[in-house]
Amino acid sequence: MEAGEEFGPWLARQLKIAGKTQAELAEELGLTRAAVSAWITKRSVPRATVMGEIAKALGTDLSTVHTRTTDTQAGLPVTWYHRPGYLDGGRDGGNAAAFAFDADVQVLARETCQNSLDERLVENGRPVRVRYTIHELTGEALEAFRAAILWDRLQPHYLAVSESAADQKVGRVVDAGVRDMFEKGRLILLRVDDYNASGLTGDDYDDGKFAAVVRRQLESLKSGRAAGGSYGLGKATLWATSALGMVLINSTLSVPHEGRTERRVIGRLELPWRVVDGQAWAGPAWLGRPDPETPNAEVVRSWWADEETVERLHLTRESDEPGTSFLIVGAHDVASLAPEKPDAADDENGGDDDGTRDITAMHHRLVEALGRDFWAAMTGGGSKLPLLETSVRTLRNGEVVIPEEKVDPAEAQPSRTRALRAFYEGTTVDRLTQAGQVALRNVPLRLPLTGGRRGTLGTHQGVLLVTEAEEKDAAKSEVHSLRGNRMTIKKSTVHGLPLGVTAFQAVLLLGHAAGESAPFADDAEEFLRAAEPPEHDRWGQTEELTLRWSHSAHHRIAALTAEVNSAVKELVVRPKSAGSQENAKLRKKLTVQRKTTAAPKRAAGSTLPELDGLEARIGAGGEWQITAEVKLPRAEELPAMTPVVLLDVRSGSRPRLDWAELVAVDGCEVEDGVLRFTPRARRAVFRGFTDATSHPVRTELTRLVLELRAGTGE
Amino acid sequence: MIEKPHHIPARLGLLSATAADPFLTEDLLKGVQGHAGIDLAKVVEPLPEEDPRWDVEPLRDLVDDAMYQFKENRTEADGWLAPRLHATLRLTRREAADRRIWTHLALAVAPDYVAWRHGPAPAQDRNMRINPARFKGAADRQCFSRLWWAAEMFRNGEDYGPVVTACSNQDLIHNALRMDLIDHRPTAQALVRILERGVASTGREINGLLVAISTAGATLVYDALAPDEPRDPEPLRAWIEEAESAPPVPRHTLPVGPDEERVPEASVAALADYLVGLFETAPIRGRTPQP
Amino acid sequence: MKFYPYKRLNRPISLRVTSASLKLPDGTREHLDTSAYSVPQRTVALGVAQRDDWISARIGLSATLPPGATDPDAPWSDLRVLAVLTDGDTNVRTTVDLRQDAPDSKEWAGDIEVLRDDHVGRATLAVHAVATIDDVPGRSITETDADWAVDTVAEEPLGGLTLDVKQASFSKSTREWLRPYSDAPWVIDASGRVPLVMVNTDVEGFSDLLGGNSGGVESKVQELLLAQMATDVWTAVFHSALGDLEVEPDGSPVFPTDWRGEVLREMLPDVVPGLRAEEALRQVHRRRTGDAGWVELQTRVHYAAVRRASASKAVANALRALQQMNREDSA
Repeated sequence: MEAGEEFGPWLARQLKIAGKTQAELAEELGLTRAAVSAWITKRSVPRATVMGEIAKALGTDLSTVHTRTTDTQAGLPVTWYHRPGYLDGGRDGGNAAAFAFDADVQVLARETCQNSLDERLVENGRPVRVRYTIHELTGEALEAFRAAILWDRLQPHYLAVSESAADQKVGRVVDAGVRDMFEKGRLILLRVDDYNASGLTGDDYDDGKFAAVVRRQLESLKSGRAAGGSYGLGKATLWATSALGMVLINSTLSVPHEGRTERRVIGRLELPWRVVDGQAWAGPAWLGRPDPETPNAEVVRSWWADEETVERLHLTRESDEPGTSFLIVGAHDVASLAPEKPDAADDENGGDDDGTRDITAMHHRLVEALGRDFWAAMTGGGSKLPLLETSVRTLRNGEVVIPEEKVDPAEAQPSRTRALRAFYEGTTVDRLTQAGQVALRNVPLRLPLTGGRRGTLGTHQGVLLVTEAEEKDAAKSEVHSLRGNRMTIKKSTVHGLPLGVTAFQAVLLLGHAAGESAPFADDAEEFLRAAEPPEHDRWGQTEELTLRWSHSAHHRIAALTAEVNSAVKELVVRPKSAGSQENAKLRKKLTVQRKTTAAPKRAAGSTLPELDGLEARIGAGGEWQITAEVKLPRAEELPAMTPVVLLDVRSGSRPRLDWAELVAVDGCEVEDGVLRFTPRARRAVFRGFTDATSHPVRTELTRLVLELRAGTGE
Repeated sequence: MIEKPHHIPARLGLLSATAADPFLTEDLLKGVQGHAGIDLAKVVEPLPEEDPRWDVEPLRDLVDDAMYQFKENRTEADGWLAPRLHATLRLTRREAADRRIWTHLALAVAPDYVAWRHGPAPAQDRNMRINPARFKGAADRQCFSRLWWAAEMFRNGEDYGPVVTACSNQDLIHNALRMDLIDHRPTAQALVRILERGVASTGREINGLLVAISTAGATLVYDALAPDEPRDPEPLRAWIEEAESAPPVPRHTLPVGPDEERVPEASVAALADYLVGLFETAPIRGRTPQP
Repeated sequence: MKFYPYKRLNRPISLRVTSASLKLPDGTREHLDTSAYSVPQRTVALGVAQRDDWISARIGLSATLPPGATDPDAPWSDLRVLAVLTDGDTNVRTTVDLRQDAPDSKEWAGDIEVLRDDHVGRATLAVHAVATIDDVPGRSITETDADWAVDTVAEEPLGGLTLDVKQASFSKSTREWLRPYSDAPWVIDASGRVPLVMVNTDVEGFSDLLGGNSGGVESKVQELLLAQMATDVWTAVFHSALGDLEVEPDGSPVFPTDWRGEVLREMLPDVVPGLRAEEALRQVHRRRTGDAGWVELQTRVHYAAVRRASASKAVANALRALQQMNREDSA
């Protein structure tokens, strides 16, 4: 068995947890205080016989003392710590960031994957793997989970928040979340795991990734993108996605903390200001082990949990690979409810089918968002591995509802994925001569000098990839621009394309994405990052760009766009020859456009009766037996029509068959082979048999054509 | 009867229907009076000088021979002239699709032949006019292009034999050329085979057969039933190259066409049987004609 | 309405061109840029190479069958997919078997050869799925609903029909038939493969005005002139298209398959509104060949032409330009 922490620090913490001093332990063991101190300062280790005594003194078993992979259960149990209300009575109304926007799992996907990419362990060259698990709990499983998160102690707080639902959006969200759990008897857990990432390293309180996520929420929001480590604004989406404002965390660290790496667990709750049992609470709460070093040992901190505990909290990780698991308790996806059809709401109240609609919808929306936003990061080729792998799975009470689905970038972005792969594999071409090829062009980004000086620092060569669009591609003929993080920052269309250009897809790689050998890649990366607004959706004028470069620096980006557009046109548009330009204007006026739709162009409202249905079969005598429906225009007087039965041919004239029998069924009368319609009828039905002896070929080999002709049909 | 024009051009050219229109006089169409040819020559667009294929003389000789040989039965001239015209005027289909060359041939080179072949028969009403389409009309109507296309569509590689059979039945070439059925070479050869077998011989039978094939062709893909060889452009190009050194086409034996792959015999045989089956099981057969 | 006596797939095959290359006289191949064809216009323009000595073109094809074609319990067997190239001008029909990408795949691919000697202008490319069904072999179970056009001369892959426009000095042209018209600024010849508009360069400055890109009043006059010409042309081609209709034995006119058909389908909805194209053609044909109604129809034919030429816009723009000019003069 692998030994965990070193003995000294471990013992020190156990004493702290148990609220014992070194002197008290020494006395219990019948040793000097100096001996205990020597263990703690790592100057010596206890003899094997003393280990048993120490175990007894700490209220644990011998193997825990030997392995030291977990804390003793002595001391204060894991519990919720609610931050008390401010002494000045201020009510912040909960974490604004967490409830600033509607819950949207697609936003969650974007932000969490981006964090995982930033936290990827780069040394081993492997991708970071992100797995989303949607898990719906009902019945006993739900009961067990509620017990694990100490629901009974939280309930008064939720009740207090629900009471405020009338005046606060936060309250309404939470109230709906709680009611969903009790009325529908279900709870949706959405877990986001990453593997091959750094994990939440660092101290509970000091600067570090752990504190950035768990402690400093509002702070990092205020200080903007530059501070707060990788977990910027994005982490708020974790709490925003929870209708209960609750996220539990289990992290495996890439760098040991307190000598340990596995099962660092903490929970965090975001609720608004509330009064419970006459006491005011500021908002946030943490699930953890009380920290003996804090006043009254009330504040809780992360603890090194045992396997059974993480199991009960649904936080078990599949391996000891570093990374973090976030469990969003009471996940909801308001954006998915935005109905395409206005009657979708009725639908929800009416038939709740098998009750999995919410979770399967969530599943599909996650897959869609991951493919859309991270296709580039998920694409590899040649010797280049992808940066990211993602998957989504959906469970209900531990049973698989939708098996794990690895997100394939080629599904969402078939042609752009092909373009990037060809770039990595070195199979791009100079000009496109075959569907499926990828053309490469270098486009210059002239980087300005910093500090408002005139002139150019250097020219970065961006890589433009162009390929024919696939039918599955959503928006066609767009240029998607990426930099080192492989996120699509900018989507732009190429204007001024002539009629008939085959749809294409283009990818522009800049900065580190343009490859190791691209000149000025670092500078371009820095320049573009500065030109990126917090929404990460375009490059242009920003405050930072103006401050560090100049107020005209964004013109360099406009110039790049112009270069890109002309390069795209060069690749996909046929250069016009002099001959085709002559008389072009007159020619244009003398063009019959090919009809794109098969539907015949017609003025509104037909003035003649029209066929609106045809049933036919071949009778025993080889005759066609026909039942046809006629739609009649709204008119006082309806013209007589003649039903004409013909056979389709390859070419030439169509042979006309004779009627053996023609009978009116409804809305009409038959007179000498002519249909006379009942006045003011809107539909008519007639039946007929052809005269088989008028068929020019065996009936099974014919294709029937029925037409209605005005008048007597001649 | 119209005489051959006084002025016959030495070389074929291109005559557009619009330019030809003023020369299609009432007298010409009634077969009373032709034109001298001088004014007509002015509105003709010339073809490239160096190409020997545009020599008019061999063509004029052919029509003279045809008129002499078939003066008793002008419809039989078709079967004789079609392969010989095709082998004399060696064209690609691209060239043959240009109606202007045919209009020139009919109006400037051999209006007398058009009048002889398509004018009113001695027994007919003298006031009947020649259909102007025989001079400048659609490919399957124009006096010479219909023969050239009949030869092109019914020849089996270099063998013009099937052309003679096809032309022996006016109903066949008249109707078949209007349908795109015979664009499929095995179908064209199968039709000739059926004609040879005597399964269908009267005009009514031939028409019934063609309608049956065309109707069934609305759902059947004959190409799948009877495969053909892929087209090869080289033999035709070589044959056209030889035009300069080729002697006049033989009058008593059939000329030899471009050395293209023949239609696979298995395809022709199978398709002929299949088409006969279509025809013989057609319900309309045996029905007494309606008044 | 149409009805088949056997089970078919009710969705069409979708066809895409994936490459085009020309075989040159020296046996080498020139691979054309993919901009030589247009997927939205479904057209391949082999004239982009700007050479006319090529011998044949090889067009790469990819066809996607609708769902159900390869189901194991489908009611057919011996499924084949054929690409068929046809050309009504030259009676050419070329057929090739496409190959299935993988067993049970919906994707089929192959090449078709287009011989330059075999085509004048446009050939049509379609795909048929053929199978044995109810013991009848060779039946089409579905096909492409929108054909591709392979244009052997066009320099731009545009579908639809564009009339030909040429410039010449009518008095000096080698086309002597133009000489009688030497005082006309333009004439129309509808007798060719596609209608031809001849512009007379003898009218001084006319050709410059037509091709000009200047602004101001000049461009408005140009617009007006173009509208006038286009109105003429549309009227002429409509009449020509209607002139030589083939009729079925029962007297119904048949839609022509060449440019005449395209012109008629384009204009008939304005000439006889509210009717299906076939019924509209029957009515117009009846009026032209019958005793009455042809003269009365001319107003509508003219209206249809004016609309196509966007004459009202041109007139309005010209009038506005004139008013502006008058204001500036008087100011």
